[in-house]
Amino acid sequence: MAPVGTEETICRLVREYSDMLLRLASTRLPSVSDAEDAVQEVFLRLLAAPVSFRDAGHEKAWLIRTTLHRASDIRRQAERRNLPLEEAAQTAAPEPGTDLLQAVQALPEKYGAVIHLHYYEGYSIREIGKLLGLPSATVGTRLARGRERLREMLKEEIK
Amino acid sequence: MNWNDYRRAVDAIPFSADFQERTEELVCQTAQIAEIEKECIAMKKKGLIKAAAVAAAVALFTVSAYAASHWLSPAQVADMYGYPALAQAFESEDAVRLNQSVQTENFCVTLAGLVSGENLSGWTDQADQARTYAVMILESLDGTPLDTDDFSIVDYTFTPLVAGFTPWSVNNWTLDAGVSLLEQDGVLYYLLDTQNVEMFADHTVYLAFYQGTVPSQETFTMAEDGTISFVEEIEGPHALFTLPLGKSQADPAAVEQFILNSGFDREWFTTVSPDAGAAYTTRENEDENGSKHIEILPQPGEDTDFEETN
Repeated sequence: MAPVGTEETICRLVREYSDMLLRLASTRLPSVSDAEDAVQEVFLRLLAAPVSFRDAGHEKAWLIRTTLHRASDIRRQAERRNLPLEEAAQTAAPEPGTDLLQAVQALPEKYGAVIHLHYYEGYSIREIGKLLGLPSATVGTRLARGRERLREMLKEEIK
Repeated sequence: MNWNDYRRAVDAIPFSADFQERTEELVCQTAQIAEIEKECIAMKKKGLIKAAAVAAAVALFTVSAYAASHWLSPAQVADMYGYPALAQAFESEDAVRLNQSVQTENFCVTLAGLVSGENLSGWTDQADQARTYAVMILESLDGTPLDTDDFSIVDYTFTPLVAGFTPWSVNNWTLDAGVSLLEQDGVLYYLLDTQNVEMFADHTVYLAFYQGTVPSQETFTMAEDGTISFVEEIEGPHALFTLPLGKSQADPAAVEQFILNSGFDREWFTTVSPDAGAAYTTRENEDENGSKHIEILPQPGEDTDFEETN
């Protein structure tokens, strides 16, 4: 696969993956503008330092990992500055499942990412393992523990 | 938990309708600016490259000193990938500046630098996992510019190996490693990002570069004392560097955990048998363009307290 570094190739990736990456970034960043910034930076990074992708799977995996990493960086920076990330989510119109979305956003990255990739994007445990570079068993464990944490968080909220 | 509601909530996130359009515009604008800057830099460097090519032909033993004058430093390589924290780490006192060079065929392979730390690049999502980063440089001895297509990370491997552990058990594929490649002025720069190899510091830790993919008995031999070397019949440019790690950096408990987490039998890590390699399977994926991606598949481990859900 040709190195990704040309405008044309990156624009193809923007069209192909930006929706998925925005949703993924939103599992770490409740603020829409923060999520959009994170995803834009990922695409611009390809321009600054072209990556030779082995295949389409590697391409997608790189985009997902880099998006998660960048989103987590932005989140950590905001937390260091004590910016209330949650407020942005509260301004969104309440939808059924908003509490579950907020709970996923509150999970540690390692749980939130697999929960979202499995339950929203529909990837199997094995596929998530390939995307995140993790053994399937580890993904399965994270999925189970993530669900358990969500149950506890939502139970506490109802109480 | 109602996952349909979760999907609806995610779908209701008010992303900008023009996000794709704005991003494509931004990419094009940034590319144009970069192109202009590149042309300016290329004009400035023209004279320097010519002088450097002459110097390389004069004396090979001066490679290291000569290198310092024209190669990108490990920090610059990290910067080009957009990893400022890693660039800073390569400049820190903790970084090891090696500049060890090996001539192989018509090439010079140089291990430039090494540093370990946490959360310094974008390869892994495991922010709290200690990692080792290394930069290796490949250039031709006759000054012929090299191209990433000819030495791609699909066809060539830059991987850690550890004496006493079979080459197929401790390597990029089992250490959650990633390699990135970039070309600058006809010189290739490989950036390795791997799980921290300092834990193996009570053994000899190598960085190997060779033509091929997953380490196998066709590429490496392991002597009775655990020493790893290339097989005599190996073809293509290759180099094996020994890392200057102190034994005090070793973490046997972490190594033990690494073995347990792998899902493989302990014997697979330490014993070279005639059928070594048969105890694991590789999966080769090929896409419509013919690109291949090879994986080592471990046996299922004990860490399986999950249920498959859809």
